[in-house]
Amino acid sequence: MQHCTPEQLALAALRELLPATDAAHLLACAQCRAEVASLQRSVDLLAVPQLAAPSTPVPPPPRVWDAIAAATGVTAAPRPEAPAAPAPLAAVPPAPVPARPRRSRLLLAAAAALVVGAGIGAGAVALGNRDDDGPAVAAAALAPLGDSGASGEARVVERADGSRVLELDLTAADLEDGYYEVWLLDEAVENLVSLGVVRGGGEVTLALPPGLDLGEYRVVDVSVEPLDGDPSHSGDSVARGVLDS
Amino acid sequence: MTGVLERRPDRVGTVTTDVVPRPGSGPEPDDAEVGRRFAAGDEQALAWAYERWAGQVHGMAVRAFGPGPDAEDVTQQTFVSAWAGRESFRPDQGPLPAWLVGVCRHKIADTWVRRDRQRRAAEAVAAEARAAPETRGPQIDAAVADRVLLLGELEQLGQPQRGIIELAFFEDLTHAQIADRTGLPLGTVKSHIRRTLERLRNRLEVDGAALHA
Repeated sequence: MQHCTPEQLALAALRELLPATDAAHLLACAQCRAEVASLQRSVDLLAVPQLAAPSTPVPPPPRVWDAIAAATGVTAAPRPEAPAAPAPLAAVPPAPVPARPRRSRLLLAAAAALVVGAGIGAGAVALGNRDDDGPAVAAAALAPLGDSGASGEARVVERADGSRVLELDLTAADLEDGYYEVWLLDEAVENLVSLGVVRGGGEVTLALPPGLDLGEYRVVDVSVEPLDGDPSHSGDSVARGVLDS
Repeated sequence: MTGVLERRPDRVGTVTTDVVPRPGSGPEPDDAEVGRRFAAGDEQALAWAYERWAGQVHGMAVRAFGPGPDAEDVTQQTFVSAWAGRESFRPDQGPLPAWLVGVCRHKIADTWVRRDRQRRAAEAVAAEARAAPETRGPQIDAAVADRVLLLGELEQLGQPQRGIIELAFFEDLTHAQIADRTGLPLGTVKSHIRRTLERLRNRLEVDGAALHA
């Protein structure tokens, strides 16, 4: 039995989601769970809302400064009309790109378990040639997640100029709000690449980023995305399959 | 390594025309300059720090205790002890506002201790009044005491360990988000998190109230 790494157990203590295989191991292994529990005590004591980073500034009443001046003997005084600092108090600069919210990771991870359980075995479809394309170098059958009813077939085709495309044939209900987006994920569901948009009853050909390692990004994922301007994965996946080359 | 948990870009100082500059005070210094002068004991820097960050500190205090005397005490004590302990502020280890927030966390935890003591004292009086046989528990609640202990341990951490664990604890970021934010490799973030959690666990095991109650 392969135990989780010490680093993974520390992340579990912070209640981060582990890759599906680690999560499954943790459920089954009392030794790893005990380690998480012992590391988690400090998390539970300190990661409380009252100690969280400042959110809403509240100007203190003037008597607070009076008391500080009396206690320190400092004669300089803040200007009463001084504007509050607009900048956040974080010790590091904000991320240039909005980070994915943790909720999406949760949903992704929940869906990942389904891939592990069912997707890999069902992933393979016949690799064949279509008349107008180059050879298919990988293919996947997309199985529905949950009760989505969506399914499809995906093929990675290498063209004469060496570029690769993903051809996707999706069978899914038309959406009244939002749209379907196609992703490639790694099997840990930690990293993902967006490929583009597909219609519910449609076939689409999407270019793959040059140099993308299909050995790493093996999972084809179709999600429902709201039209909210947020480019990150919604966590609402409807179909998945693992590319088999 | 200095770029890792670097202070954010200096805020451009704003000089409002309706404020008469104090003799010798010159133009508004940026945040980093306020931090340096604060550490050096320039009294004007305490006033500037209060102008800029008292709202954030008081916001935390009000979130913890609601508006009123406890929150005001926390804000007051944060600035008083930050000033008294200004020599322990290291401008190269992070910006002054982040340090003030750390001091504020201590004051909040200290206030929990004080409230807990008061509550226990009141209960003891009530028990005596009922002539109930007194079963003396620990002097204060173990979690309340251990929080103070752990905040002290966090203070001992150098950078980038301290910044990393603070982002995890107090900004609820995942290790991947911390890596994005700091520019540190994922593996580095993970191993620092691991070592810091081990260190905090050791501290609790050696000195924690819960295990010695």
